[in-house]
Amino acid sequence: MTGSAATLTITLALYLVGAALLGANLFVRRPGFLAAGRGAAILAVILHGVAIGLRCMEMHRAPFTNPAESLSLLSWIVALVYLGTELLWKLSAAGPFALSLSFLLVLLGAALGGDTARSGAGAGSAHLLSQRAITLHILAIITALATFALSFCCAALYLIENHILKSKHGLVWMKRLPPLMTVETAAFTLAAIGFPLLTIGILSGLVRAIPGGMAAGWQMDPKILLAYAVWAVYGVYLWGRVGAKWPAVRTAYVLLVGFALCILLYIVPTAAHLFE
Amino acid sequence: MPLSLIGLSHHTAPVEVREQIAFTAPGDLEKALAYLRETLRGTGSEAVLLSTCNRTELYLATPESLSTDDRMHLLLGAHGAGLHNGGAGFPPHLIEKRGGHSVTEHLFRVTSGLESMVLGESDIVRQVRSAYSSANEAGLSGTLLKQLFHEAFRVAKRARTENDLGRGAFSVGHAAAELAETIFGSLTGHTVLLLGAGKMSETTARHLASAGATSVLVSNRTFDRAARLAELLNGRAVPYEEFPTHLQRADIVIASTAAPQPVVHRDMVEGVMRQRRQRPLFLIDIAVPRDIETGVGDLDGVFLYNIDDLQQVVAEDIAERRARAAHAEAMVREEAFAFASRLRAQQSAAPLVTEVRAKIHTIAEQELARLRQRLPNLSDEEWRAIVATVQSIENKIAHDPTVKIKEFAAAAVDEAEPAGDAAQKMETVRELFNLGVTTGADDGEPVK
Repeated sequence: MTGSAATLTITLALYLVGAALLGANLFVRRPGFLAAGRGAAILAVILHGVAIGLRCMEMHRAPFTNPAESLSLLSWIVALVYLGTELLWKLSAAGPFALSLSFLLVLLGAALGGDTARSGAGAGSAHLLSQRAITLHILAIITALATFALSFCCAALYLIENHILKSKHGLVWMKRLPPLMTVETAAFTLAAIGFPLLTIGILSGLVRAIPGGMAAGWQMDPKILLAYAVWAVYGVYLWGRVGAKWPAVRTAYVLLVGFALCILLYIVPTAAHLFE
Repeated sequence: MPLSLIGLSHHTAPVEVREQIAFTAPGDLEKALAYLRETLRGTGSEAVLLSTCNRTELYLATPESLSTDDRMHLLLGAHGAGLHNGGAGFPPHLIEKRGGHSVTEHLFRVTSGLESMVLGESDIVRQVRSAYSSANEAGLSGTLLKQLFHEAFRVAKRARTENDLGRGAFSVGHAAAELAETIFGSLTGHTVLLLGAGKMSETTARHLASAGATSVLVSNRTFDRAARLAELLNGRAVPYEEFPTHLQRADIVIASTAAPQPVVHRDMVEGVMRQRRQRPLFLIDIAVPRDIETGVGDLDGVFLYNIDDLQQVVAEDIAERRARAAHAEAMVREEAFAFASRLRAQQSAAPLVTEVRAKIHTIAEQELARLRQRLPNLSDEEWRAIVATVQSIENKIAHDPTVKIKEFAAAAVDEAEPAGDAAQKMETVRELFNLGVTTGADDGEPVK
């Protein structure tokens, strides 16, 4: 086992422990669980960063040249964004979702890519990734997806809290969850950060595709079409939230739809995005 | 010294009985403590008098066990005022505890809020602390009660922290403030609008203000009443006709007018929500008949709670607190048992330590007397040096047995070893030092 793989294994365990502790804290509210969960998350993010760095050094290239690596990077950014929400809004209630997602993404990457240390990219992809536009394209889109994931989590929390407050059932849960306005603000801020990143990602992809950098017919590639759809949904969300002043419940549903499209975007079969 | 307590509380006595023996008027407690100090002077006794609107309790540590009548007389004497039938009606309402464990557990429960009328309320800690300080200042609290009360404060803190006893709403006003915080987070910078200037809305507004709400607007049909309440709450009165305009600015509205029909309508709030750019609005309707149309609560971003909803919140919080209190009760019971056992150990070890030290001291004194007879020509300086050396030897010899005896007693209490083993070791110490038998006059051998 290489250094990066060993570190990643420890990271996986920490994501799981962090998610379990923060989840348990939601039910039993023990300061010890909260502190330990946060500690596990911080340690996991540090170790995951180290694992990605080691991977770069071992393979002498960018850490997102195959599905396993890009999922690992996405997982790391999800956890990193979660720590940011903790710092800004104390959103520990989003921890179980974010850390479980990080855990699953790494696991999925390992399943897809086999031994992540050995499954390298082909010469074609390595060459492609040496181009700045492509690096920017991938990093911007991965970061946007990570912020949308957390934004989705906040929107879901908003809808749950709104339901509790309206129905007046299970109000005891409200004391364990962050305030309603906080989760709404967090959902908006994260989407507002993700949207320009997604725009940059799409534009940098187009910069390479339009001069003929992609196979013919790339314009109708499902991944690319879905990326436009995702961009449109988050654009509508921001317009509805800032311009049209839609009620928060409606905008929260838009965020749920947006994230569902993000998942599709990630898994949809593509011909234009195969670089081997 | 045996611990005991006598008193009454809301569990045992109705308010008409409790008020007869309360020490809540200014100067009452000082007079009572002065009486107790005089009465207990020279007896080595200790006392702490706890008096709140829900309980009056006299905690005592006395060299000898006191009868119920003695303690009753102390309490009534401390009160001083003439009581109906000389307090003959009290006995059925009395709480009486004797013995370390029983008194300790009771005080721990009281301080932790487990005996409070509103389960888990925190004010009782301050009241017990104040009672102890007053007794201490009056010179009534000694080593034993100091240990007991300090331990009670520690246990109360642990019980409250580990079981979140202070969490949840204690009243309708408190519930409203808690709900507002679950919607807005910190209430700093948020505006509260009071429709109606009744007592209930004032109390609720005070809870919201203490939770951080910075701006209070008061609107009432009678403007003067609104102005008076606004002044009390450091807020601003607004004409009743203009309240729909101010709904736009307010985040929390407390409605408690005496209007027979709703004064806040769905159409009105719908328009307000558009102007508020969908910022949430928390409406608290504590009026009966209700002031706010039910349909208002269906609007997005509007959270409408009436008096029943808030009372339901309080009831749920109390139920949840009760569940947490069960765990706290078990913890307090354990702590009380441990403390009482430590106390018992201290008290059981003390006489044996005293006897051992006395025995060594007696031998030393006798030997010094004999030496003085044998060497009558020693100078004072030489004699003082010899006495100092003997005393030093005496202390060094006594040190190890003292430590060991305390360890035996503590081990028995901590259940580190069977109580019988510890008792056997203590007995061995007695035999080694031949305690209870006078020493021989000439050779220091015990007389058989």
